[in-house]
Amino acid sequence: MERKKRVFCLLMVLPAILLTLILGLIPMFTSLGWSFLEYDLLRIQEHGTPFVGLENYRTILSDDRFLRSIANTFLMTGLVVAIALVLGLVLAHVMRAEYRGRVIVRVLICTPWFVPPVVAAAIWAWLLNADRSPINSALMDAGLIESNIRFLTDSSTWGPFSIPLLSVTAVRIWNGLPFVVIFLLAGMQSIPRDLYEAVDVDGGNLWSKFRHVTLPLLKPILGVLAMLLLITGIGHFEINYIMTGGGPNGLTDVMSVYSYLQAFSFFRFDLASAAGGMVLLITGVISVIYIRSQLRNEDKS
Amino acid sequence: MTQTTNRRFGRRVLMRSSAAIALSLTVLGVPAPQAMAQEIDFWAQDYGDLIAWQRTMKTFADEFKAESGIKVNYEQISWSVAFNRWLTAAQGGAAPDCADMFWLHSFSAIGGDQYGPMPLNEYRDTWPTLEADFYEGSLQDVNWSGDFYGIPWRGDVRPLIYRKDIAEEAGLEGAPQTWDDLVTFAKAMQGYDANGNVTRWGMALGPDTVTQGYVPFFWQAGGDFMTEDGRTATIDTEATRVALSYIRDLVWEHEVLNPDFMERSYSAEGDFPAGTVAMIASAAGPMAPSLSVDYPELDGKWALAIPAAGPEGRDAYAGSGYLGVLRGSDNVEECVQWISFLSRPENMQRLSEASGNVSPMREVMASEFWGDTDWKQVIQETMEYAHTSQHPTPVWNGLLSPEPGAVIYDMMYRAIVQQEDMDVVIADAQARMQSEMDRAFSE
Repeated sequence: MERKKRVFCLLMVLPAILLTLILGLIPMFTSLGWSFLEYDLLRIQEHGTPFVGLENYRTILSDDRFLRSIANTFLMTGLVVAIALVLGLVLAHVMRAEYRGRVIVRVLICTPWFVPPVVAAAIWAWLLNADRSPINSALMDAGLIESNIRFLTDSSTWGPFSIPLLSVTAVRIWNGLPFVVIFLLAGMQSIPRDLYEAVDVDGGNLWSKFRHVTLPLLKPILGVLAMLLLITGIGHFEINYIMTGGGPNGLTDVMSVYSYLQAFSFFRFDLASAAGGMVLLITGVISVIYIRSQLRNEDKS
Repeated sequence: MTQTTNRRFGRRVLMRSSAAIALSLTVLGVPAPQAMAQEIDFWAQDYGDLIAWQRTMKTFADEFKAESGIKVNYEQISWSVAFNRWLTAAQGGAAPDCADMFWLHSFSAIGGDQYGPMPLNEYRDTWPTLEADFYEGSLQDVNWSGDFYGIPWRGDVRPLIYRKDIAEEAGLEGAPQTWDDLVTFAKAMQGYDANGNVTRWGMALGPDTVTQGYVPFFWQAGGDFMTEDGRTATIDTEATRVALSYIRDLVWEHEVLNPDFMERSYSAEGDFPAGTVAMIASAAGPMAPSLSVDYPELDGKWALAIPAAGPEGRDAYAGSGYLGVLRGSDNVEECVQWISFLSRPENMQRLSEASGNVSPMREVMASEFWGDTDWKQVIQETMEYAHTSQHPTPVWNGLLSPEPGAVIYDMMYRAIVQQEDMDVVIADAQARMQSEMDRAFSE
């Protein structure tokens, strides 16, 4: 009976394992393998793909553009994780509360989730285009600005920040926020109501409820969410590529865009794979740190 | 030779002979015997009205089947994915037997002698009057390293386009003829709001592929990107300084070119019909046909002209696409037969009319269709100034990529947008370009 059960379970997960293997792991490790070869499409017929060790990694790590793309990747991902979690907590409360029109608010909050990132990027690229932006028109009509804001092209910077970086980050948050909200809402709904009633009895206010009940009980979920957002954020590609292509002047360039351009614009699959390898390494390190901390917490409890 | 080999050899000779007879009959317009009935896979990119284009290709396939017995499985490839599909095909991924192709130099280098475009030297005599029938520049684009790869069927010749109504309002007559005229026209046509913000830019360089907009200015200044053998970069020259300085002045001194023109969100092709750009110095080939069909409200409000003359010339950017066969195909003869069918003058005419592309065939361009409007006549005149955009190195498309990190893009960005020291920028670009070119030829 036990054996039958195990076979049944295995059969159930087999399609998922196969898909992960074929579409995820095999391409990932093939690409990782390429990062140690010379894999230059324009030389491959004459020179083949000789082993070059860490040469590709040395090349990209001495390229200022790649170093800047690493910094941008971390900055944008950090902003996305922090802002999405804070906003997610607020909006999850809004979705949970009971009031008239709650359904409409819930639908509005979830709407960005229905828009694929590629489409979202194209729509926002139009909305934020300096010369055609309806946002600029509205602000100008309201007398709030005198000249167009160059949301995606202004290359002025304040430290590591710039308007294009913040604009693209905002679109990434907008597109990913419903996922965070739904996750947190599910977590909040699993918190027993009597815990909140206990705070009421103790004379606590909303903030006390949040600080002493909601936040501690949501901590594991927040950890998982932060982890997922970090991993997907570091490998994020489409919104940055479609909205700005990494510009202006590299201000929104991220590692995945660098990798894509090396492969498909400059025919250097080896350098692209090395950049992909760096993404894998970073996300791998984050995953290991997270899993170890989880295991430590489990041991403690 | 074993019996099996003999049999295979005999069958091959028989197949080749029957293919040759069928080919001759097809060229002569006589229906071929049905014995060769086979299928071939053919890919073509989409052009003009997508439904009309698909219908045209289906009609061609039906006619060809009725004539030769060969079924053509046509697959339409969207331009948005075309490059990646061809890059995959050139590396041994899924590929058709024959196709509407481009970027011969890069894809043949990537595919080598295994994948990608297949030389058709032994079939070249199928088109005995090739030189007389086609424009010279278009034939350059189907020959590479001494091999012949197919038949050019479409051209992309880029004239200047400007808003005639706005120019007339500004008191200007005719079209700009020189670089100085471009500045005069652009300044006169520029529009501002009450706060002094630009509401209409006087000019744009070219299509949305920004680096291609620079190329004709460089030629017009007398430049050549490389030596004829494709081995040596030649951009550290006065021509580069002249072209870059002129464009930099358009942005910062005359303020008629949007300083964001190199950013991804900028689209001169979208801004022109919207009236927020008044002139494009080098407009992509499909732009005029598209305006005439999609924007009837703009009829009579725009005009084409031969690109303005620079200090050394009046070159117009020209690209082309060709019909070719892919390595690995088992149906080479059938594909040549299909290409031969499509390259008949009457079919080239239909291809040109359906796609809206200029034809590299002289007879088609001399037809009534290409002379029935002013803008078509200008395109014909511009063809006299056509300068092929292909260069004799496989790295050319990487050099000219419109993305940050590409040699020409970075040179333009630093020299024009960031206004860095011109000599330093050009020297860096020359060194990088040479290094990239060495990549393709190094031992």
